[in-house]
Amino acid sequence: MTLADQNNNRFRILVCIDGSEESYQGLRYASRLGSGLDADITMVYVRPVDQGLNSGGLQVRVARQNMMDWDLDLPGIRYLKKGRDLLIELGHMEEDWIERTTHVESRGDPLGDNMIEYSNEEGKQIRLWLKVAETVEGGIMERWEKGKHDLIILGVTSDHRSKLQRVFGIAPIALKVATNAESSVLVGRAIEEGKGHLICTDGSEDSLNMIRKDAHLASRCNCPISLISVAPTEQQRGDADQAIEKSKALLDEMNIPVEKSIVRVGDPVKEIIKEGEHHSVVVVSGTRSSGLQKYFMSGIAFSILENSKTSVLIVR
Amino acid sequence: MTQYLTEKKWFFIAMIVGAIIMSLPIPEGLTQAGLVVLAMTVVATILFVTEPVPLPTVALLIVVGQVILLGVASDVVAKSLMKDSVLFIMGSLMLAVAVVKQKLDKRIALMIIRVTGTKTTRIALGISTVSGILASFIGEHTVAAMMLPVGITLITLTSDDPKKVRNLAAVLLFSIAYGCSVAGIGTPSGGARNAIMIGYWQEFYNIGIDYLKWMLYSYPMFLIQLPFVTFILILTFKPEVSDLSPAVDKLKAQVAAQGPLKGRDYVSIILFAFVLYGWVTMSSTIGMGIVAVLGAAAFLIAGLVRWEDLNNGVNWGVVLLYAAAISLGVQMKDTGAAAWIAQSFLDMLTPLGADKGMGLWLSVSVLTTGVTNTMSNGAAVAVLGPIVLNLANAAGESPVVIGFITAISSAFAYLTVVGTPACTIVYASGYLKTTDFLNVGWKMALMSTILMLIFASVYWPLIA
Repeated sequence: MTLADQNNNRFRILVCIDGSEESYQGLRYASRLGSGLDADITMVYVRPVDQGLNSGGLQVRVARQNMMDWDLDLPGIRYLKKGRDLLIELGHMEEDWIERTTHVESRGDPLGDNMIEYSNEEGKQIRLWLKVAETVEGGIMERWEKGKHDLIILGVTSDHRSKLQRVFGIAPIALKVATNAESSVLVGRAIEEGKGHLICTDGSEDSLNMIRKDAHLASRCNCPISLISVAPTEQQRGDADQAIEKSKALLDEMNIPVEKSIVRVGDPVKEIIKEGEHHSVVVVSGTRSSGLQKYFMSGIAFSILENSKTSVLIVR
Repeated sequence: MTQYLTEKKWFFIAMIVGAIIMSLPIPEGLTQAGLVVLAMTVVATILFVTEPVPLPTVALLIVVGQVILLGVASDVVAKSLMKDSVLFIMGSLMLAVAVVKQKLDKRIALMIIRVTGTKTTRIALGISTVSGILASFIGEHTVAAMMLPVGITLITLTSDDPKKVRNLAAVLLFSIAYGCSVAGIGTPSGGARNAIMIGYWQEFYNIGIDYLKWMLYSYPMFLIQLPFVTFILILTFKPEVSDLSPAVDKLKAQVAAQGPLKGRDYVSIILFAFVLYGWVTMSSTIGMGIVAVLGAAAFLIAGLVRWEDLNNGVNWGVVLLYAAAISLGVQMKDTGAAAWIAQSFLDMLTPLGADKGMGLWLSVSVLTTGVTNTMSNGAAVAVLGPIVLNLANAAGESPVVIGFITAISSAFAYLTVVGTPACTIVYASGYLKTTDFLNVGWKMALMSTILMLIFASVYWPLIA
């Protein structure tokens, strides 16, 4: 097996760190998912490139340079190092791992992109990545030279936007990443570990594919799996039962036990969100039939993502 | 492709809105050219607020639009880009970088601590007062960049755990940001927006407001706001520690390691004093812009700063952007678009009884505060200036008073990170949350608005 193949077979998790408690909760969850030897974790802090207008034409980098002259760390570095210390505390990595630092000037910014890469003898890697990009969401989703990440984890605080803002306002970073990223995205809202995954299924080929992928993920953290299917009307209950049966059969084939199978009648979004409160993560499919659908960001998956109080995993 | 469309959607929305406005029947009282300028202004405003493309792109589009859509000769547009106010913005930005590079920040920090002692409240007041006084002359961005490490050092020396000193961090960093923001109104060199308004007064009404006259109007208002800033911050954030003795001692030791002032420190202080002297005494004869540019040249000649530092530290796109925004402002006046918007706005205000006096002042102030919280305050004044000056004309009010209300209100962008340069720079430290700005910003905006209205009705008539 070539080095490139080995790289491609690794399970890569990207955790977005912004210094908030929620982002470190996301990192704890990543540590559970990425505990195997074949998994790497990258923590990223994205600094939007300064447009200058907001700082009155004086580049913010002048202030940052001044901070560094006082031997003060840049904010992102401090947050990332805190993340690294958390992983050491969790026993995910050791202090004596080999350290390699790289720096690349990026987007005309001399402070540019900085990466500290820690690796052990078995080749497991942890990376701290301080990155500059036009926008935070753009930086998170940017393709990485070593191939794409399998899972992006973002921690978010509860969404305070009003209805009007939701229609006209600029969607928060997490929603933008969740709808546009190529990989699976876990939007973490105070992730409580150990309560398992709730997979939403309608029995379609898309949702069966998603179940396969999530089963793989859930097995990484030994998280129990439950299934839910919601029929909009009583007449359609049979379809929902069938969807559950199909999904269960698939998991049986994979030798993965199903903790609970739930069939509900009502508004799918409301029912799933209600049931989701008893689980760690609600799992929905992120596959879309067309680009246009994605552009207008509609659908049940998006409504769940936007309104759920529980963490939501969008599987792609 | 979909991602590109998602990222740039506001650009396309803005263009569609512009096309729709241009295809509308010409409203009564407006000319075809006025309608085109109106469309360009709306498009530029949408792009300023939503930022789907790098902002200097908007400047380039404004230049191109004037030639292609309005049919103005290329040479005429080119000439309208460079004015004394643009030279001033360019020169003072270069001076800002030069001043930050002199590393006088530690000495200023020591000076503050010597006067204030170690009590948190007194240090907060000291930081906002000294930051404010400096910022009123050399621009808020300069001082925010200089003082940021002072604030952070005091915080980190108090505790390594940011959670334990969250409120203290908010008080000290906002003391810098708001100290600078309230000071930006103090003199014409306090911010680009002031220079833009002075340029508009000259362009539209041939009213010359010199450096001292500006200070006479607004400097007292800046000074009165200072104690309120500390009061509001302490009340809102209630810092965890009331005495910073351990941090102050460590900071003193750090500063002492620098030794006494050296020759180049004296030269830079003297040079800057000359620039200030030039602004105060020669603005009305040779222009503020020329003084600023001369100052920047003097710093380069004295070898106190390298051109590379100036080149990297100034965002030249911003100079271009202000130049284009002012040029569009002049077109708004020439084509009658500004007068038309002003009249429409006034017609809206009349039924509310806000078409003159205090009602009008408050409306202008609220409009400016609203706009400035969504975009940079210089851009807000560049866009609103022509409209409010025409509004003053239509309502029979003094354009000087209305102009001051707009320029001053544009500093009331306390609610968002992007509102004022000082807020943006302090936020870059990573110690503050965007919600902090909302929690304290509305109190600041209310305090400043009330004080300004008192000044407009009581103090300004005395000196007019």
